[in-house]
Amino acid sequence: MYDPSISSSIDLSIPSELGYERVVREAVASFAHRLGFATERVEDLKTAVSEACLNAIEHGNAQTPGLRVDVTCVWDGSGLTVCVQDQGLKPYSGHVTPGIEQRLRGDAPPRGLGLYLITQLVDACGFEPSPGGGNVLYMCMRRCPRA
Amino acid sequence: MADVSHNAGPAERVVELHLPSRLGYEKVAMDAAASLARRMGFSSDRVDALRTALAEAITNAIEHGNAHDSQMRVLVMLTVRPSELVVSVADQGCKPLEPAHLSPPPTIEESFKRGDKGGWGIWLIRELMDEVEFTTAPSGGNQVRMVIHLEKRS
Repeated sequence: MYDPSISSSIDLSIPSELGYERVVREAVASFAHRLGFATERVEDLKTAVSEACLNAIEHGNAQTPGLRVDVTCVWDGSGLTVCVQDQGLKPYSGHVTPGIEQRLRGDAPPRGLGLYLITQLVDACGFEPSPGGGNVLYMCMRRCPRA
Repeated sequence: MADVSHNAGPAERVVELHLPSRLGYEKVAMDAAASLARRMGFSSDRVDALRTALAEAITNAIEHGNAHDSQMRVLVMLTVRPSELVVSVADQGCKPLEPAHLSPPPTIEESFKRGDKGGWGIWLIRELMDEVEFTTAPSGGNQVRMVIHLEKRS
């Protein structure tokens, strides 16, 4: 009935407004859970997806009313890739977010840990070019076999 | 995902969800809708009613409208308004809904005659939601539009 060996995908689109990232978080968690991801991994993915949506709303779409954030989740049979796309009012500058050590030393501002957090939570992530403009952040998580 | 225009009024917010036509995926939409409804302030029993109605509508879309073709999609749109949540479920409709299934509720006797004991989905949706309307989706498929009112309970 729900065969995780078959590839599948879901797409979501939300208003670019704080709070709606929770709807994405629940949908992605529900999808990942049913694909057989361990609870701990699902929690990591929820946090990463929330951070990515918040970045899209606050930065990429610069908190402009009326814009959208689009999310696609693709399962290929062994890994889940979640892409979060904004409408790119503010393009991603490409700088690498400093780690926690630099922040504790005061070498970097305390905010803006979202991307750093995402890199720590998923197996691979990065920005990919979007033909239609906008920032596209992809996050991949592989499913480890259950013990 | 740019195939749907978001002609939302100033006080409306639309969340859109596209699912594969495969049983089990209705749970993804149920969890997303429940999250939204809780945030709007619906009581837990109303959230449960919404989950059940949505599950019935999506399984109908998968089993009947899209005839279990996993290449087809089910579109769920959640429109948040100040005093209500509008939920619409559209399939790609290779199998139009029979008008006979929309009117009077099935009887226990009729249901027992059926091998699968089914046929209660539409009746259940009407019982659970405040407004229910069956129409044709812009894509040509079947569409069910359900409204649940946000009641300020004393």
